[in-house]
Amino acid sequence: MHQMEQHDAATLATLLDRALAYYNVDAGTTRALAFAELLAQALPKTGPELYWCARIAMLPSIGDLTRFHAAFLDFWGALPQGDILAALVPNVPRDDVIRNLQRASPRMRAPAPDERRAGDAEARDAALFVAMASPEERLVDRDFAEMDERELALARRAVARLASIAETRRSRLRRTAVRGDRLDLRATLRNAARTAGELLRRRNSERRERLRPLVFLCDVSGSMVPYARPLLQYARYSALQRSRVRAFAFATRLTEIGPTLMRAGPTRAMGALGRELRDYGGGTRIGAALHAFNARYAQRGAARGGTVVILSDGWEREDPELVAREMARLQKLCRRIVWVNPQKKHPAFEPLARGMAAALPYVDALVAGHNLRSLEAIAGAVEAGGRGAVSGHRAKGSRPMETFERKPRR
Amino acid sequence: MRSAVDVEHLTERLRAVGYLADRGLATALASAVALERPLLLEGEAGVGKTDAARALSRVYEAELIRLQCYEGLDLYAAAYDWNYARQLLAIRAAEASSAAVPDLYGDEFLIRRPLLAALGATRKHGAVLLIDEIDRADDEFEAYLLEFLADHAMTIPERGRIAAHYPPITILTSNRTRDLHDALKRRCFYHWIDHPSIGREIEILRLHLPQLSGDLAAQVAAAVAMLRSRELRKPPGIAEALDWAETLIALGRPRLDREAVADSLGAVVKYPEDMEIARAITDKLVS
Repeated sequence: MHQMEQHDAATLATLLDRALAYYNVDAGTTRALAFAELLAQALPKTGPELYWCARIAMLPSIGDLTRFHAAFLDFWGALPQGDILAALVPNVPRDDVIRNLQRASPRMRAPAPDERRAGDAEARDAALFVAMASPEERLVDRDFAEMDERELALARRAVARLASIAETRRSRLRRTAVRGDRLDLRATLRNAARTAGELLRRRNSERRERLRPLVFLCDVSGSMVPYARPLLQYARYSALQRSRVRAFAFATRLTEIGPTLMRAGPTRAMGALGRELRDYGGGTRIGAALHAFNARYAQRGAARGGTVVILSDGWEREDPELVAREMARLQKLCRRIVWVNPQKKHPAFEPLARGMAAALPYVDALVAGHNLRSLEAIAGAVEAGGRGAVSGHRAKGSRPMETFERKPRR
Repeated sequence: MRSAVDVEHLTERLRAVGYLADRGLATALASAVALERPLLLEGEAGVGKTDAARALSRVYEAELIRLQCYEGLDLYAAAYDWNYARQLLAIRAAEASSAAVPDLYGDEFLIRRPLLAALGATRKHGAVLLIDEIDRADDEFEAYLLEFLADHAMTIPERGRIAAHYPPITILTSNRTRDLHDALKRRCFYHWIDHPSIGREIEILRLHLPQLSGDLAAQVAAAVAMLRSRELRKPPGIAEALDWAETLIALGRPRLDREAVADSLGAVVKYPEDMEIARAITDKLVS
């Protein structure tokens, strides 16, 4: 690569940013500017030099690496120097990357023309829902699987209202308070300045409340498809309302979906998910998904002190033993496990699905989650054991009616 | 025109202080230094994230200022605090001697915590600021860091804005226990440190343990790579590989055989479940 003027570098960086956006990598202008600056200063001469500059400046996270590679190859391949540059992505056979990518995220389509009108439509839906729901509450007890498209869209508003889980514990961070449990010298002294340095009033500090982490594991396999959408939306609205929420989807493999789920616009978010989840509607491997979650996330503390909400019917295609083993491990890595199983809607529900039966001993609460009313119980089940309890201990409180008592712990 | 980001040169200098950086990491470090931009390092535990900052401080003979993050870390532990006891005494002393009350927010009452200390470098590349395990701190703290990282300055209400004359070389590390806010990540260069290749691991082992024979180094590196390819709870990092090699030397084992593995496995594998897996593949480990 020849010497690069600042201007060219900026153009190049902006173009790479677009190419990345095309592949669903959200790098953004700040990173593009940093890349341009780096290009101008580092003056990469060889392919690898250029590759590393681009990667350091433009790669948001290691999880984006495959898509980054594809975008990078795609982009530089279009330039005259493409031949030299094609060889520079280390250890990744180019054809594989591209083939995978075409499967993973088909080219982003142009945004729907009626995006602008979506807002109005939403407002109408809300009004309609209130009109429909308030006199007869028809949707509240209706099974998600029996709803048509329009009803599902209406139900979304209600899901948004229901999804508020705010389980807290006391933080180590402190704040000044009148009735704290510890003297706050800083505040006391600052306050004394008002009274000419005379320490007249004591200020205390108390521990702040901190949200516990909340993790959703959503089963999107074939048998869950009728329920996946409202449950994913439940996860979406939970994640939008508060911090410290992570969401994953699984059928045959585990995918972190948090960022996609939280995209602006419910329709867009669901559309993007559909493109991202290659295994949507596929077979179920709960054990393998739990294993992946434990090894990659829970082991590092993603759910420590918090609640894991598993949304699944518990139909395990493979090894129920593995489910039991991984549930046992997960139980040690989080504070509470709430299992949401739409099959629990049947009054005579018995946890017969092999995966469900294997998991049950480790589940703190089992709720139905097949209609709006049962979704309400999720928040209750999560918070039941929580508030005010000493961190690290599971409180033995009463649980809401909708929940299913798990077997006593040894 | 000579490039301002001299990767080869930095790689050499890092090697001279005992740190082997591959091309990606060296580029990341060199870019962060040249452009005065913070660098976010992620990777499995034990791949040398913290050591990278340490090595960099040795290369530039800079002071290493380390801020270990933990839950509940607040401004007053990370940036600055006032020495309240001394302030009180100064007030009382002034009262007793009926002298004028001194400036209560002068330097003598200011306690400089790592972030503030890092702004006080007296020459170019005079300080390396290591913000270690940022993912352990609360989100609020991340928000506070934004201003600091972007401007290399902080505002103390009683004193005004304090800006660095020579910005510190800033390295952040994260173990990915949670997602960092994108606003923070955007301000940083980013590099993921992978486990080293077998060849590099042999180099690292021999660099740190000169008394280690080439054969044993190769065996240990190969065995560690094999362990990493299994699904262990805690795949061994470079630190564990070094521990293992050192243990083998201490045990007087010239080569890695079944017996040596049985005696020293605890140095490299730390969970009972992982032990089982490792024992089951002992034959492969020693071959």
